[in-house]
Amino acid sequence: MYEKVKRMTATMRIIHWVNVFSIITAVITGLYIANPFFQSFIAEPAAHKYVMAYNRLFHFFAALLLDVVSIVIFYLYFASRFEKVYKKVIPTKQNLKEFWEVFLNLITLNRRKNFDSTHLDSFNAVYFTVLHLLLLWMLFTGFYMYVQGLESGESAIGRWWPALLHLATDWVGWLLGGHAGVRWWHHFTMWLILSWVAFHIYYQVWRTIFWKEGDIGIVFGGYKFKKQPKEQV
Amino acid sequence: MQFFSREHLRSVFTKPTNYINTNRGEAYYKALYEKMRKRLDELKAMSPVREADIKFEKMLDMWELSRRDFLKWVSATTALLMLPPNFEPLVAEAAEVMNRVPVIWINIQDCDGNSEALLRSSAPTVDELILEYLSLEYHETLMAAAGDQAEEALEKAVHDFKGKYLLFVEGSIPVGMPEAFTIGRHPETGVERVQRLAKDAAAVIAVGACAAFGGIPAAYPNPTGAVGVMDVVKGKPIVNIPACPANPTNMVGVIMHYVLTGELPELDSLLRPKFAFGYRIHDNCERRAHFDAGEFVEEWGDEGAKNNFCLYKMGCKGPFTFNNCSIVRYNDGTNWPIGIGRGCIGCSEPDFWDKYATERPLAASNIRPPGLNGVESTVDQVGLGILTATVIGIGAHAVASLVAGKKSDENNQ
Repeated sequence: MYEKVKRMTATMRIIHWVNVFSIITAVITGLYIANPFFQSFIAEPAAHKYVMAYNRLFHFFAALLLDVVSIVIFYLYFASRFEKVYKKVIPTKQNLKEFWEVFLNLITLNRRKNFDSTHLDSFNAVYFTVLHLLLLWMLFTGFYMYVQGLESGESAIGRWWPALLHLATDWVGWLLGGHAGVRWWHHFTMWLILSWVAFHIYYQVWRTIFWKEGDIGIVFGGYKFKKQPKEQV
Repeated sequence: MQFFSREHLRSVFTKPTNYINTNRGEAYYKALYEKMRKRLDELKAMSPVREADIKFEKMLDMWELSRRDFLKWVSATTALLMLPPNFEPLVAEAAEVMNRVPVIWINIQDCDGNSEALLRSSAPTVDELILEYLSLEYHETLMAAAGDQAEEALEKAVHDFKGKYLLFVEGSIPVGMPEAFTIGRHPETGVERVQRLAKDAAAVIAVGACAAFGGIPAAYPNPTGAVGVMDVVKGKPIVNIPACPANPTNMVGVIMHYVLTGELPELDSLLRPKFAFGYRIHDNCERRAHFDAGEFVEEWGDEGAKNNFCLYKMGCKGPFTFNNCSIVRYNDGTNWPIGIGRGCIGCSEPDFWDKYATERPLAASNIRPPGLNGVESTVDQVGLGILTATVIGIGAHAVASLVAGKKSDENNQ
């Protein structure tokens, strides 16, 4: 007998897919901004095409969504009524043990499974946190470059916004050696995030196949299944 | 003051960044006018550094520059310094009392390009004339004196104008290999020379990318350990006028500002005057519409190049470069790099020689990444490497899992 276990609320799933599409958009448009990989030979005056401008617009909107959603996630880490992720990230003895056990399960190819797989495990919780740290790094480097274009000190929403960005991000330029360094890191971090995504997808599919608990369904329907111990059946 | 009072909140949320205020209100300009008037009167009362010098009007005649040329220059300079039009008479007068400000101009490791930029114009310009008319006490390229005579002139100038002269430095200073630069019969190294002359200067003005940030001599592997003036001189007001070469308009602008107010202009975090370096090239570029449209030159001489498309894909670094050449241009407003279809190499930014001067965008340039010194690979190569390693790791794990999975199935059976 299998038991149905709820793992993601509707809100969590919406957040997940917003993140997915934002990252896809940000990567595609970001690659174009870094080195425009297609040429727009449209027989129209320059003013009508706006290809780079749209790429930048979508890039900024993707970034905006990621940042805002990350704030929501940060809040839910501590305040979610469903599952407080921070409890799985703090390095308590139990969490360290669980992290280690889940990791061993992965590298021993599912020959050892000494943890409860019905709820969020420490390994995944830490792995998700890494993504948000990478996104935070993207936020700092990204806004450092963004505010260069607001050199007049004015913006559509007032002068506090560029001032705040300078206050929050000028240290990045100091740390990385100016615009060139910041650009390099912003671009490089994209590859780290893509590597993160590659492992994330693989790991969830691998779990689904080897644990035989329907883990991949979590992100679509919100549920997975757990085999009940034989005694209870 | 209460925290939530309107005034306090406004002051908090309108913190100036590098915002250039071009209209500071009537009261400000009135006070500034009075201040400049007073300063000019003081300078006028002083006798010129050299009595025998020719009068300014005569100088204009000699150079075959009309009064009209001069007034055009006055208008342009007033606008450059962001002063209202009623300051024009003051700027004109300031030009005439320029010979009251002693200037010492030294060259360290450089190509003399900044002096050349000022001198080699197609026709005599007022900027050039100002340099001639300035009380230029020492300039290795321009002065008639040589050898011992020149050294004497320098010592005399330092002695006579102690604490009053402006020290212009052109060229980087070899700190790692001081013996790489020595000059004269009583040789001193570049470091010693700059430090000694800066000690008695009113202010030090670093002209060109070399003097400001190290420039071409500091390019990898920087054999002489070249650095800019601000890394060697401490405790003196310093103005950087970077770019390769520095725009004569900006050099004259800084001198004019000093003559008019007795103070140095407002500077940004890299000690560059905001009136010149408060603008990003990209934002005032004539080809910006083609950037937004995604119309790029792909190869030199292609259809895009013929149609003045954006040079971003040919390595234009305008988006990261702060300078006013997209507005004032070079050689009396004749043209500038992007105007001739070459793209910007970011010559007014630190480290441009190693990081910006490539013919492709940064993402496609073979630039040594910061923090990973010596790794001669681009971001994408390193990044793709990491992604590939991840995929290989995943593949290995997947294959191993399949094999192991079968075994455990057998065990279960």
